[in-house]
Amino acid sequence: MGIESKLGDNILTTRIDSFINWARKNSLWPMPFGTACCAIELMAVLGPKYDLARFGAEAIRFSPRQSDLMIVAGRVSIKMMPVLQKIYRQMPEPKWVISMGACASSGGVFDTYSTIQGIDNFIPVDVYVPGCPPRPETLIDAVMKIQKKIEKERSAQYR
Amino acid sequence: MATNEEILKKIREKFGDAVLETSDALGEAAVSVRRDVIVDLLKFLREDPDLAFDFLMDLCGVDYLEMGGFERFAVVYHLYSLKHNHRVRVKAFVPENDPRIDSVTELWAAANWAEREVYDMYGIEFNNHPDMRRILCPDDFVGNPLRKDFPLQGIGYRESFEKIDRESAQ
Repeated sequence: MGIESKLGDNILTTRIDSFINWARKNSLWPMPFGTACCAIELMAVLGPKYDLARFGAEAIRFSPRQSDLMIVAGRVSIKMMPVLQKIYRQMPEPKWVISMGACASSGGVFDTYSTIQGIDNFIPVDVYVPGCPPRPETLIDAVMKIQKKIEKERSAQYR
Repeated sequence: MATNEEILKKIREKFGDAVLETSDALGEAAVSVRRDVIVDLLKFLREDPDLAFDFLMDLCGVDYLEMGGFERFAVVYHLYSLKHNHRVRVKAFVPENDPRIDSVTELWAAANWAEREVYDMYGIEFNNHPDMRRILCPDDFVGNPLRKDFPLQGIGYRESFEKIDRESAQ
């Protein structure tokens, strides 16, 4: 079964970058950083109806040491920001960040003394997801955009 | 169970000159007092056998800016008697130029964190408190967010964190 029946006894040649990126983009291990209602939509994405497993990203890891995609879902307070930075630093390279929802991307309606006005002030963000909270389809689109981004990366850029 | 009238009468008899105002509105007894008697008053309310207010339900602050209180701030104590099933609210008024009042942690240990929250949000200091620190805002925060003259939006308290960019992250 599978590709062997088409190829027979042959081999395929490719570039090492293409091969590594192909493996990376189809086995993203997300780290959920859910602090508010966006995390509920994030859970819906992982559930059977929207099923992020179709994109190879169903292995949610609650340890940053074992994950390579951080999904920041919800508002981040000033006291939470050092925690977020610490978790980001604990993730091994290569790593990507999705800023999910209006609050994580820009502070949303919470333009107050206690809320960070966009996590990209303090950590690098790859894809922003608009919405309050975003539909599950929107987050799936963001994961696909991350996959497209991974396709173009060169493995030598990471130490 | 003592009626609201009986409760307020007892307080007026014992602390007459320190009581600023008593009210019995919508079946809820409330008494406003000067801040210097607050520990004595609450101790009396707790230990008098007919009153026996043994449960401090809540302790919170109020900013009376432009609302016509006796002073700018008040600390409000919500008391409940598990024994007699009756309640009373005690308001102690605190002036703006000297925002401090005695702590009641000696009477109820539960007052500890509540007083820290009032300190954090209104800047009212509590004398003899065992651990007078901010409880919700960061330790180096400047200002008291629940004061009515605190800006509603756009106060950027974000300068003291480092910024992680892609180069330093690798």
